[in-house]
Amino acid sequence: MRRLLGGATLAGLVAGLVMAFGIAPREATQGNVQRIMYLHVPSVWVAYLAFAVVLVASITYLVRRLEAADRLAHASAEVGVLFTGLTIATGSIWGKPTWGTWWTWDARLTSVSILFVMYLGYLLLRGMVEDRERGARFAAVLGIVAAFNIPLVHFSVIWWRTLHQPPSLMKPGPGAMPGIIVAALLVNFAAFTLLYVYFVTRRTVVLGLEAEAEA
Amino acid sequence: MADNWSFVIAAYGLAVVVLAMYWRFLVRRERELDDAGVVRQQLRQAPGVSGHAQTEPGSRSPLP
Repeated sequence: MRRLLGGATLAGLVAGLVMAFGIAPREATQGNVQRIMYLHVPSVWVAYLAFAVVLVASITYLVRRLEAADRLAHASAEVGVLFTGLTIATGSIWGKPTWGTWWTWDARLTSVSILFVMYLGYLLLRGMVEDRERGARFAAVLGIVAAFNIPLVHFSVIWWRTLHQPPSLMKPGPGAMPGIIVAALLVNFAAFTLLYVYFVTRRTVVLGLEAEAEA
Repeated sequence: MADNWSFVIAAYGLAVVVLAMYWRFLVRRERELDDAGVVRQQLRQAPGVSGHAQTEPGSRSPLP
């Protein structure tokens, strides 16, 4: 089953690359550097998804004390941090040729940095508390509190005046992007979602084995 | 605007390296823990540290 998921993920990523570099046209204003979007936007989508899963798994853990929920939250937070870091790095690389700067403290970039640091803190907290059950409880509370930052990150470009462009896909009202660009983006969304599921599945297994080894 | 292919390559290259490293970490960690689990199971099933079968004190026959 896991091998099948791995194969589907790899096929999805290859299809995503073909769509991004072979099918999607060169963007008229930005040129080919706009192709970073097919990596940057799905990365932040996975980060949102991962932290939403942390929220649900954390609530489940606090209510029902299921170890599986705690493991899922831990695995999802780790993968979320990975993809948030990737979002920040690829955004910075994209920002230099288009905005003329690697970094600026505007609302989107600042709020996503706070999100990154909060979930990094979540992972550190788990490592710092020696009693596993207490650590899981504290992390679950932080996982719920930190999730409130997700809408702040997403709507920051609408609520404040920023250098970052407004949301392209997940915005209220009709979309302005050509169909082929939307299709390329959706293929990459699917591929990155599969990659997220694959990573979280593997990480959850590893966390289970670590718990067994400690017992 | 210039195409800036170097920035595109940098972004995709970075992503490939980071994601491949994380995947490698998961695979190696799982293999390590699997191996350690097998060793632990073998130690549990082994008759004793010395490798000799241990008998309960009550079942031992008295010295002549």
